[in-house]
Amino acid sequence: MAKIIMIVDDEADNRATVKSILESNGYTVVLAINADDALKKWTTKKPDLILMDIMMPGTPVRDIVPKLKGTKIAYLSVVRTSEAEKEDLMKSSNIVDFIQKPFDIDKLVSKVKKLVG
Amino acid sequence: MANIKSELKLNHTILFTMPSGEYNKNIVDVARALSGNVCYITTNKTLDSLRENFTKKKVNMKDIIFIDTISKAMMKVPDQSEGVYYVSSPGALTELSLVVKKFLKHEFDYLVFDAVTNLLTYQSVNMCSKFVADLVDKVKKSKTRSVFYAIESAENEAMISKVGTVVDKVIGGKIVKSPVTSLEKVEKLKTKKELQ
Repeated sequence: MAKIIMIVDDEADNRATVKSILESNGYTVVLAINADDALKKWTTKKPDLILMDIMMPGTPVRDIVPKLKGTKIAYLSVVRTSEAEKEDLMKSSNIVDFIQKPFDIDKLVSKVKKLVG
Repeated sequence: MANIKSELKLNHTILFTMPSGEYNKNIVDVARALSGNVCYITTNKTLDSLRENFTKKKVNMKDIIFIDTISKAMMKVPDQSEGVYYVSSPGALTELSLVVKKFLKHEFDYLVFDAVTNLLTYQSVNMCSKFVADLVDKVKKSKTRSVFYAIESAENEAMISKVGTVVDKVIGGKIVKSPVTSLEKVEKLKTKKELQ
């Protein structure tokens, strides 16, 4: 069965681009427009991996992440953080990666493959 | 790069537009050039990241006070910290406006807004332009000279055009015209010709 990846991004273009890339690599994609929407869809869709933009309108991502227990989350960030902050953000047990935008498509796909198979 | 310091002697408020490729170099060059008390607003990177970058590039931050609109939305930050004030998010324009208003009372020599186009991630063009116009107005009533950064792109064109009308001077490269605007112009010309 195809692995389910949830893309959480408030930018429609970003959602569409990543969706198309992942679908062409055999993944089933679920879209969410912000962290609240992700939480709502997470309960029914049960994704294997969430690719989540770290800064979006609505409830801050850091408040939603602890509720998404047991699901691997990779942060996508256009915002620049220091190395120490990156390490700090990765401390939460289900955060598995920190991907800086803009990202290389091949690298993203290989990271997703590494994380969920 | 234009001599921002000299330009700020002649103009109270400047919109400094730049391609994304020149951004990292420009923010360091301007920070180095501005001697005096600086209030630096960051809307696209955390204070730690900015300090890390400035330290690497040997920018003297002794007289810079930061307003960090990123960190609080991403992680826990101290209630009080020296040299920095945290705003809850770059989209919290009312909060940011109130904070800047307070800071302007301290008569900083310069205010650096890095960058107005980043606000578009969180609010509409109209909201962001109105916010910046209001801020420019406040700056003009103070002794503080201000430079607003903007990244040139087709998506940011409307914002740059609107902000460009309220500042004293626009410095930087070309403003990228979107194909839609060009098409609109062609349509207008067509209509004009038909009417004649």
